[in-house]
This record gives sequence, structure tokens and C-alpha cells, in this order.
Amino acid sequence: MEFFERHKSIVIFISLTLFCIISLSVHGSRITLTTEGMMSAVISPFQKLYDYVFGGAKIWVGSSEYDRVKNELVLTRAKLQTFESTYEEISEIKKENDRLKSLLGMKELLKYDSIVADVISKDPDNWYRTLMVNRGKDDGIMVNMPVVAYQSSINDNTKTLIKGVVGKVVEVRGSISRIQPLIAPEIKIGVKIGENKFPGLLSGYSHNSNLCVVNYITRAAPVKFDDIVTTSGQAGVFPPDLIIGKVIKSEVLESSPYQRAIVKPFMDYNLIDEVFIIKKAPNKDLFELFGEIQ
Amino acid sequence: MIIVYIITGILILVSLVIQSHSSLDVIRIFGVKPDFVFIIVVYTGYSFGSITGQVTGFVSGLFHDAVSNSPYGFLALPKLTVGFIVGLLGRAVLKNNVPTIIILMLVSTLVKGIITLLLSYIFAQGMISGIIDVIIPEALYNAILAPPLFFLFDKIFRGELEREGYL
Repeated sequence: MEFFERHKSIVIFISLTLFCIISLSVHGSRITLTTEGMMSAVISPFQKLYDYVFGGAKIWVGSSEYDRVKNELVLTRAKLQTFESTYEEISEIKKENDRLKSLLGMKELLKYDSIVADVISKDPDNWYRTLMVNRGKDDGIMVNMPVVAYQSSINDNTKTLIKGVVGKVVEVRGSISRIQPLIAPEIKIGVKIGENKFPGLLSGYSHNSNLCVVNYITRAAPVKFDDIVTTSGQAGVFPPDLIIGKVIKSEVLESSPYQRAIVKPFMDYNLIDEVFIIKKAPNKDLFELFGEIQ
Repeated sequence: MIIVYIITGILILVSLVIQSHSSLDVIRIFGVKPDFVFIIVVYTGYSFGSITGQVTGFVSGLFHDAVSNSPYGFLALPKLTVGFIVGLLGRAVLKNNVPTIIILMLVSTLVKGIITLLLSYIFAQGMISGIIDVIIPEALYNAILAPPLFFLFDKIFRGELEREGYL
């Protein structure tokens, strides 16, 4: 007893270290996840409150900004009306397109419902690049659901709204979910590059950059600057042909039978504060197949 | 001592909420943001000894793990270890001046990063490439922010530091 009293600091250190190591060893077990959920439950109300207060403060401080946004909203509504007027025209084109597709024997692309979610926090650590949103199991969100967002882009003095992939849901709790973005090095997404749709595997470039890298592209593929990268839809998570980003550089490595491409995602991770979660359940058959392979 | 734990708890909670808010992306330099929670851990170890340092490191690390995408204990163990080591040295060994604080924070963040890399290697978190991307920029960032924050914490914990005989 005297030994413990004399070396109290070291005893506490060893005990706490053992706790961490055991916890890491049993990572993924039910107990760990439950405890983690409890700790998160303590933090998330504060995060939501801070987000709410911060959002309120921004509106209060930047009333001029608010006016600008309001004007933009009026303009956007006007634009929307214009777009609605062209709806008939588009639907005609769509019908014709569908007919041509069916003639070509192409599979009809599935349409999914989506739910809007606000980003309430981002990962506080530099090792991970995840986003926390205010939608969870209660809203019907499931793990591996794809996430997209809209972001405005100015090209030749014209403002356009781009829909691009943000990432996928990796964790779901009652009223919150965690999203793994495209720029996370841990993510793996099957993609197609350029007009010829060469396949590749996309992941985040590094922990501190907002770029992605596409690996395993055949050397024969003519990958060039500004080529569009889209989802392949083959892994059962993302629907096909969702826009991811543009190629900014391609690299052919001497030691590798493949080439790789550095991709700049359309969605700027730093500017994302509202996302749409596509309510598309992952393809169970494919997941079971992957599970068997692993 | 209970006051130290209460104030530290509040500081950590506030830091964690601020650190995880999306608005903090604007202060990213070389893609990394400062770890305010870790700066608090180093300060408590430095000012109040190894027990306070390691307990602060452990508890704050668990909360950090809970809001981050990391497995439980992954961010807690490096903080716990650094809190313990810094606490062993403390103010009795390390003088309270700007160069010492900068070097202390620089070395502490590097140690934290190396332990994190070791854990990622052992527990297959796949982050081995992060030493240049994350550890060095974060160490520099934390080191620059440490002197003004330590000065601020000295003001907050003035009463306790006087009782300990450091002021």
C-alpha cells in the first residue's frame, strides 16, 4: 500500500495507459461504441448550441451580408421561375433521351430521395477529416449512404450551381451522423475518368490537403488536365455518374504498372455547411460479397 | 485542486467545441489547425504536476476521441503520456519564459505525434505518411500559440499558482 502511495503518479499512468490499450484492442466491440456514444452525447449538445449561437451571431453582426444574401435569394427565385418555365422543354428532351437510352439498351438510372442536413462540426483533430451533421438514425439515415452538396461556381462571369459528391456516411447515431469526405485518405471510391470513362480508385491525397488521388488507372488511358471524374457506381454505395471533380495532374510512375491522377474536388471542404444525404441503401449483395472476400 | 479540475474541464469543453466548429477552417495553416485541447494538457502538466497533467490528458483525450472519428483511446493515450512526462519536469525544471514554452510545446507536440504514429502502426489505422503532413506543421502552430495562451492561463489559474508558490 505504501508503494502505491509513494508511486501514485506512475500507478495512475500505468492504469490509464492499460485502459487505452485495452480499449484500442477491443475497438469495434459493442462496449467501446456504447461508451463512445455516451461521451459524444455529452459533447454534441454543446456543438449544436455553439453552431446555433454562432450562426445567430453571424446574422446579427453581418446584417449587410444578410441583405446581400436576401437579394441573391430574390434573384435565385427569379432564375428558378425561368428554369421552371423550361421544364416542359426539358421533359420533352428527357423523354426523347430515355427513348434513345432504351434503344441503346442502357439501364435506366435510379432516382433517390435525399434529405438536407447542416454541418454542425468538423473533426477537431488533424488526423481525421470527418464532418458531423444534424441528421441521424431518427431521420432514416444509414451507414454508407452517399452525400452530395451544391456549390456555386463562377465561369466566364456566369454563376452556376454545381452538384458534387461530398462523401459517405460512416457513422449514425440518434440525431447526428458522421460523414467521411472525399479528401479523407481512408475513403475508397470507384470512379471513372474522362470521356472514355477509364476506371480508377479514388481516395484523399493527404491529411492536410483538399485534394484527392485516383490510383490504378491503366497506363494506356489518356488522362489530361480538366478531365471530369465521376462515380462508377460499381461498389454499391454511390449511384453512377455523380460528379466528383477535375483532374489537375496525372503522374506515371516508373515502378508502377498504373498511372495516377491528382483530382481537385468540386466541393470545397472548407466551405461545406449544408449537404444532401441521398437515401440510397447500399447494395447488400455486393457488401456480402466483399465480406466473404475479406 | 478541485478548482483546477473544474476550470480545466470548462476550458477543455469550450476548446473542443470551438476546435470542432467548421468556422475554424479559416485558421488552417498548411492544412492543419492548432490543438487547443493539447495546449491545455501541456499547461496543466507544466503547472500542476504529473497527476493533474495525465488525468487532464486522459479525460480530454477521451472526449476528443468521442467527437473525432478515432477509436477510443487513440487520441487519449498520447495526451495522457505527454501530460505525465511534462508533469514530471514541470515549472521546477522548466523556467517560465517564452523560449522555454515554445520549445516545450514544440517537443511535446512532436512526441504526441510520434506516439500517435506508433499507435496507428500497431492498431492499423493507416496514417504512417502523416509525419510531414500533420505533425510538423501542428507542432509549429502549437508552439507559436503557446506563449500567449500560457500567459492567459496564468491569469486564469493565478490563485492556484500562488498557492503552489510559482507566482
